[in-house]
Amino acid sequence: MFGAIEKPLPRPSEDSQPFWEAAYSGELRMQRCGECGHVRFPPSLLCARCLSANAEWAKLSGRGTIYSWVIVHQSQHPAFNPDAPYNVVIVELEEGPRLHGNLVGCANDAIRIGMPVEVVFDKVSGDTALVKWRPR
Amino acid sequence: MGNLSGKYAIVGVGTSRFGKLQGVSSMGFTLEASKAALDDAGLSRDAIDGVLVMMPAVMGEQHGWAARVAAYLGVEPTFSATMDMGGATACGSVATAMAAIDAGYCSTVLCCFATQNWPQGVAMQLFGSEFQVPYGDVGALTLMGHIKRRQMHEFGYTEEQYGQVAVTWRRHAQQNPDAQMTKPMTLEQYLASRWIVEPLRLFDCCPNTDGGGACIVTSVERARDLAKPVARVLGAGQSHSAEIIQPTGRDAQRIPGSKAADHVYGMAGVTPRDIDCAQLYDAFTPRVMHDLVAYRFCAPGEAGPFVAAGNCTYGGTLPCNTAGGLISEGHLSGFGHIREAVRQIRGEAGPRQVPDSELCLVTGYGGAPHEAPPTVSYSALILSK
Repeated sequence: MFGAIEKPLPRPSEDSQPFWEAAYSGELRMQRCGECGHVRFPPSLLCARCLSANAEWAKLSGRGTIYSWVIVHQSQHPAFNPDAPYNVVIVELEEGPRLHGNLVGCANDAIRIGMPVEVVFDKVSGDTALVKWRPR
Repeated sequence: MGNLSGKYAIVGVGTSRFGKLQGVSSMGFTLEASKAALDDAGLSRDAIDGVLVMMPAVMGEQHGWAARVAAYLGVEPTFSATMDMGGATACGSVATAMAAIDAGYCSTVLCCFATQNWPQGVAMQLFGSEFQVPYGDVGALTLMGHIKRRQMHEFGYTEEQYGQVAVTWRRHAQQNPDAQMTKPMTLEQYLASRWIVEPLRLFDCCPNTDGGGACIVTSVERARDLAKPVARVLGAGQSHSAEIIQPTGRDAQRIPGSKAADHVYGMAGVTPRDIDCAQLYDAFTPRVMHDLVAYRFCAPGEAGPFVAAGNCTYGGTLPCNTAGGLISEGHLSGFGHIREAVRQIRGEAGPRQVPDSELCLVTGYGGAPHEAPPTVSYSALILSK
């Protein structure tokens, strides 16, 4: 009766477009403040630390550690129901910001806080790559 | 700056029918709860000249929601706003009402909220940011799962300690004829309950609740003319910031919500030791652990043992969530907590009554846990005889 419900893809904003473009080209980039050096996330016109608008889209190391992790058993979106149980992790980057994502290449019951991880890019469409993580 | 401490009172509290109840709209429940609060206060609707309503987010963008509530109630307020602080709105609306009355914009304010979780004819909103939803990270559950994970990691809280919150609140709900979840629950049943978002179990989570609540704020002078004992607002406090994912604030080491605690205690001129009972915002059990620390009843790491030792039930050092909380009374977005706090202050809580209950803390929490960065508001009130 209904078509398959598709997983929602990121819909970039004016602020986030460079983040997603970089991801599709295989790079993790975030804004580094030209005044105070703070690497900020999510993307924003102003630095949350010093309110400067002066920033460059710096390429980051792509390395971090698991800050927290959960296993979704009861999906809150029908497109993800077949994936359950699946993980959602928060990665703390070497450069400081924390971001949500999925850890791949690791059994859910082997995930630990502090586990070293590195970025991988999962091309999910002709113009979009999701930012995911694997153990390093 | 004027000090509003003790100048204003909550004179009416009420709820609609609530539970899993199809067939009544968000507006319908809002009107039902508002009428109950008017009846409780012994006020006619003509007394209402301020209306504050929490955004029913499940219905998406609703222009002029608070003014529409006023129109459906048949009143024409001189002050109104739709507020958007999620579960922090109930306490926050009382604080805003006090300020608006003090400013002379109005004299008696209705604060209310209700929701129908499966509204007919409304396109359901998918919450969440581009940095979360594509990873299957949808809604508040994942953030609260992360918060429980970090609490267990940092403080060593055990499953049994979270279970004690759920089991204790369930026992409290059995003393509340309106409660949604009253079936007896043991710690073993909690520990056997299924994962929702591990480490959150089913019984760490409040149920979905259709329905709502309301309260009415006016001056202590007007309150004294009414039939019920006066429940004065001694303190109000708030803080608003990003949580867990993004330490952008310049004061990232501070315990989230502690600024709201400083304000509520500072305005009331009391300390945590003075509080006789507390209604802590508990959409999920880790919230209770957090608020026991943020509002300085426990040092960091001591909340789990504090609950497990029985301090938070009737006869304990700090009876909490005496009507069952969101987890077992039902998710009335904090208006249930305000109703119970007022009843405790009035001495109307029946079998749940905390003896000599003179000071009651109510906390709220909510906002945009599903956005980037996950952003929440803390709000609190201290009520007094």
